Amino acid sequence: MFHVKFADIGEGIHEGVLLKILVQENQKVKEGEDLFTLETDKVNAEIPSPTEGTVKSIRFKVGDKVNVGDVIIIIDDGKEGVRSNMEGGEFIQEESEASPEAPPEAPPKAPPEMKPVVEAGGASVVGQIEVSSDLIASSGEGRMQEVTQNQSAKKILATPVARKMAKDLGVDIQTVIGTGPQGRVMKADIKAAADHLETSAANNLKTSIPDHVSTHTIQTPSAPIQVDEDRVQRVPMTMLRKTIAQNMTLSKYTIPHTLVMDEADVSDLVTFKSETKALALTQEIKLTYLAFFIKAVVLGLKKYPYLNASLDSERDEILLRKDFNIGIAVDTPDGLLVPVIKNADHMSLFEIAKKIEELTQKAREKTIALGDLSGGTFTITNYGAVGASFGAPIIKYPEAGILGVGAIVKKPVVVEDEIVVRSILPLSLSFDHRIIDGANAGRFLAYVKELLSNPKLLILL
Amino acid sequence: MKNFDIVVLGGGPGGYVAAIKASQLGAKVAVIEMDQLGGVCLNIGCIPTKTLLRTAKLYQDLLNSKAFGIDIPGMEHVEINWENLMNRKKTVVKKVVGGVQQLMKYNNIEVINGFGTLLDPHTVEVNGERIVTKNLILATGSSVKLPKIEGIEEGYKQGTVIDSTGAIELKAHPKSMTILGGGVIAVEFATLFNSLGTKVTMLQRSDVILKNLDEDVRNTIQRHLINEGVEIITNTTLKSISGQTTYYESEGALKSVKSDFILASLGRVPNLKGIENLNLKVGRKGVEVDSHMETNVKGVYAVGDMVGKMMLAHVASAEGIVAAEAIMGTKTKIDYNKVPACIYSFPEVGVIGYSEEDAKKAGFDVGTSVFPLSANGKAMAEGETTGFVKIVHDKKYGEVLGVHIVASHATDMIAEAAVSLELEGTIYDLAKTIHPHPTLSEIVMEAAHGAVDKPIHIVKM
Repeated sequence: MFHVKFADIGEGIHEGVLLKILVQENQKVKEGEDLFTLETDKVNAEIPSPTEGTVKSIRFKVGDKVNVGDVIIIIDDGKEGVRSNMEGGEFIQEESEASPEAPPEAPPKAPPEMKPVVEAGGASVVGQIEVSSDLIASSGEGRMQEVTQNQSAKKILATPVARKMAKDLGVDIQTVIGTGPQGRVMKADIKAAADHLETSAANNLKTSIPDHVSTHTIQTPSAPIQVDEDRVQRVPMTMLRKTIAQNMTLSKYTIPHTLVMDEADVSDLVTFKSETKALALTQEIKLTYLAFFIKAVVLGLKKYPYLNASLDSERDEILLRKDFNIGIAVDTPDGLLVPVIKNADHMSLFEIAKKIEELTQKAREKTIALGDLSGGTFTITNYGAVGASFGAPIIKYPEAGILGVGAIVKKPVVVEDEIVVRSILPLSLSFDHRIIDGANAGRFLAYVKELLSNPKLLILL
Repeated sequence: MKNFDIVVLGGGPGGYVAAIKASQLGAKVAVIEMDQLGGVCLNIGCIPTKTLLRTAKLYQDLLNSKAFGIDIPGMEHVEINWENLMNRKKTVVKKVVGGVQQLMKYNNIEVINGFGTLLDPHTVEVNGERIVTKNLILATGSSVKLPKIEGIEEGYKQGTVIDSTGAIELKAHPKSMTILGGGVIAVEFATLFNSLGTKVTMLQRSDVILKNLDEDVRNTIQRHLINEGVEIITNTTLKSISGQTTYYESEGALKSVKSDFILASLGRVPNLKGIENLNLKVGRKGVEVDSHMETNVKGVYAVGDMVGKMMLAHVASAEGIVAAEAIMGTKTKIDYNKVPACIYSFPEVGVIGYSEEDAKKAGFDVGTSVFPLSANGKAMAEGETTGFVKIVHDKKYGEVLGVHIVASHATDMIAEAAVSLELEGTIYDLAKTIHPHPTLSEIVMEAAHGAVDKPIHIVKM
């Protein structure tokens, strides 16, 4: 028997609503076949079957609220004992940071290490989830362990308060050893398990970030702010807000951000874009400046690969990314999301434009798939959309840079000793000074600027 | 020379229960008791007072029989036969003590009658004979403490000043009684003698009686006692006792009250005679022990009143079991916050856990819910509608922190709350638990409904 649970998909997502159930009881399913769709406060995730077998029972109805750890579907896989896709409780296997795009046909048999998923939410930046649906499948080793311990098969004795607290703190009660009578799980046991999760998450964080960054600094100051309670309104942070806060703090504390700014004369691009706009519309494509920016950035990254990189501080190595996956910061009603345009180096301007439109819309409608939020290698944030010109963007950890693009405005500029009116694009590049120095970052920016000033190069190169 | 695994010093509810448990776990056990098995509780405490209270209640019911549709011709001749009352008390005590003797016999526990003196942690001398033991459980209990007041010793010798033991062995029906103190025992004796037709005056040092109880409980009981004719004088300083007169200071003036008897109910002190050779660490309340009841001397355990954590028979018994289990290799402990306490007043009081004030002080996000007995069908049918239940809970998970019941059968009703606290129950499960109708216990469910949202059988604005 295989228990398909709502596995922790990271990003601080603890609960969701069953949007669709794609299978029926007694239906045969193949491994990888989608079972159900979950709506969370960030994304809608389609959950594939981790095993082949027959659907034995479906424990929830469409519209039901489910929490991480809940068994949603039970599949008869013809084997004895009970397995689940959350082996070792809150532990699911993950790829290492170095190869987030590991081929799905090769799920590791023995994972090199088990990381608590709390870490996945904590260490990744908004939009990046190092978990693909393939990886939710369990390892053979984990199965053996669970079969022998027979844990999921056991009805867990737990006190009502312990159950509530477990849900609240994201502890899988099945994995907790109770100290009460007959092994009953008491609230003290849940507290201890939650503390343990927190410490192991913190320990894992430490391996991926420099030692001097203690977990203390990653969290917001613990001392309460002294306020006159009548003069403030207290608003609880949403899960997404908390995740954003955590990720931003992690990035800022870990990466020594350095900022370089410039202005690009994009008059020709403005002309070029208005000329090609109509052409694009015939193909039902809404061509935006962002598509050109992405194209220019990809070309720039190819020339300056150290900006398409990450620092592995544990091994003192720089990871040069072979993929060119460009994240685009999208402002949604609930907060910032960063969908990723994968393999942008293989795409035409039209293809990029089409993808931007598709991903932006999905992000705003919360229908974006988890895979579209993960695997970025460089990010562009377009605060020009709200009229701003310069900014100091925060890098999406563990990337090496982020380009902020401002609003294009007509400005008087001096060209060959004449004051002329040109369309000017403000550019702000934040980069990881541990990986590259200012000169090369400046050269990268100058190159991007050159490309944007000569749009024909974007097509030719 | 006799040789045992465990020798228990004292055969009260702490000692004899420890002996039975240890014997059940396979130990060779002896109990040394200088008087009767059962200790204060069975011989001169819990059981005899309850016997007298039963008569007091029956007497009151007879006096009120007209209201219940019973006319008794010659009602003025209904009176208490003091001698027969005392005889019944003796019969009941004899039966209960006999029961304990049987239990000792069937559990193969050797009962040695005599005063045990410890020579060292493994040797007890009793009746001139030496007994060797591997472990010791001390359960010597406590004695009445007479406060230092001028003339109290003389009064005690003459028999006008009595303690709780004297109060249940009076030769005749007292016309009037002054009770010194306002604690649980004082309230119980006030109820008893007042119901038997004795004029009762209570002299309390502080401004309230039952100081440690929830405010709503003590207010209700105080008001009820006053309504029933008990005179309660608070904020008094006892000055001296001369014959049948007690002199006290109140509102800056010296006053006096004269009565047949003066009952001193001002606390108890641990019995520490016979154990001096062990050099046990003794604190303010009694012998100091760890959470498994072991003293600073290895293999020497102490339980019950001599430890003084809570001077209650059921605490002594629970501690006795903990000590026996610890010796036999199972480490358990007691959560003293989950110990129920009872007052056998009319109506009774049963309390457990945090009072509202204490829960707030402990930092919980406190919610309370009160349901009055006056809205309960069974209470109306029985004509005893004074009382209520108050549930104190933690708003975070709805955990039940304390339950305070004032009702004619509150001492029986509190057991439900004790189960809830022990199992870390919440207001949600208390509300969901179907309670039988018609019973007084329904008010617990109703109050739980009120804690969750609204009770059913009363309109809550």
